[in-house]
Amino acid sequence: MHVSDGILSGPVMAVGFAGAVVVAAATLRKMDLEEIPKISVATSVFFVASLIHIPVGPSSVHLLLNGLVGIILGWRAFPAILLGIILQAILFGHGGVTVIGVNTVMLGGGALFAYGIWQLRHRFNFKNNQMVFGFLGGASATIFSGVILSLALITTGEAFFATAGLILAYHIPVMLIEGVVAAACVNFLLKAKPEILAGHIPIAGNSSS
Amino acid sequence: MALDIDRFSHVESSLQRWDPRVKIFSLGLFIIAVSLLSSIPLAATALILAIVLLSKAQLPFHFVSHGVQFVSIFLLPIIIIMPLTYPGEAAFHVLGIPFAWEGLRLSIAIVLKALAIVITAYAIFGTSRFDVSMIALQRLKCPKIIVQMLLFTYRYIFVFIAEMKRMDTAMGARGFVKKANMYTLKVMGNFVGTLLVRSFERTERIYKAMLSKGYQGEFHTLVTFESSSKDFSKAAIVIVITLLLFTTDLLGPFPKAELAWY
Repeated sequence: MHVSDGILSGPVMAVGFAGAVVVAAATLRKMDLEEIPKISVATSVFFVASLIHIPVGPSSVHLLLNGLVGIILGWRAFPAILLGIILQAILFGHGGVTVIGVNTVMLGGGALFAYGIWQLRHRFNFKNNQMVFGFLGGASATIFSGVILSLALITTGEAFFATAGLILAYHIPVMLIEGVVAAACVNFLLKAKPEILAGHIPIAGNSSS
Repeated sequence: MALDIDRFSHVESSLQRWDPRVKIFSLGLFIIAVSLLSSIPLAATALILAIVLLSKAQLPFHFVSHGVQFVSIFLLPIIIIMPLTYPGEAAFHVLGIPFAWEGLRLSIAIVLKALAIVITAYAIFGTSRFDVSMIALQRLKCPKIIVQMLLFTYRYIFVFIAEMKRMDTAMGARGFVKKANMYTLKVMGNFVGTLLVRSFERTERIYKAMLSKGYQGEFHTLVTFESSSKDFSKAAIVIVITLLLFTTDLLGPFPKAELAWY
């Protein structure tokens, strides 16, 4: 789900880089020393998890999990995804060095979007609301990324209109998979280590660090 | 898949001996210029230059094969879709779908450029130790905090891949097989959750150990860079070639890939 080198036009790549730098600078503000290793861990877990393949019919897709990064790291998800994209580009050519900016805006933006959706769970109180918002977070991050990718292709040239549409359609099954995996993971973390989740409010008397 | 990008950094070649700062800067310019090329002959030239670079660095082809495979898999749909969806006059019809040479030519230019860039990126980062490349990036004004997190993440990746393989083996031993169903997705969610919990707990221990050894948010390194006239002459060659490619593309005789093969 990354764009490769060589497709997008110069202005689109430049806008991608500018957007990535601005948002990364904004989301990295007031960073604690303690957070550096934490963000790195989350980044590496997601890097590793993106190597997991899930069968879909005759083929398979690999997990993106950018929504889950947002659910866990909150604002810091954006720099985390930036790191993941840089490493994927230089370690094995996934994506590419000239599209680090566009890919970061696409996946990192999705992560921030998922965080926004995830935080809404405090407003709605019903049974299993955390799982439902976990699903919505995971799924909406994928859709957000798909839309950004299509926009990047469309602004590159008329020749890419149809490709952009097909790519958007491809995101629909991926969205469902991402949503279910995110919901299951949120459900697990709520039982095992709820303080990992972003914006977690500990229940009184059940203090956690 | 071997992820240690620097496993050939000990080989003696002109790229390995090149000052990483100068190497990243000049080949970075080359990559940017390649990504902006618009005609097939120049994109092909760029790919040939990248392959020359790879052989200069004495990197074997299997070193880049994963990246090349990935690019091909990603671009294959584009090669198929572009000629069939290119707006404008169709050359002929395949099963009722219009086929345009313009689309095919455009997608070929894209593939050539993408391969050239991926191979050049391998030549940059495959010829220095990873930490040295990162410190060089820092000297090139890449923010310190990003460089530090990249170094951390790179170290953790190998630990977590080993962890993931262990968990995978354990699941296999208990008879779990991945299938296209809801149950598999739920199990994968729990799998990722477990990986997260284990990794966070491990990092907390590592972080405490680092603090007790005096970590204050900075890595100290013994790596020093020295650039000689040789480093700069290599950079000059790369930059001249880059400028030639770029200006020929802008002003030269070659039309855009959509319009002609040459």
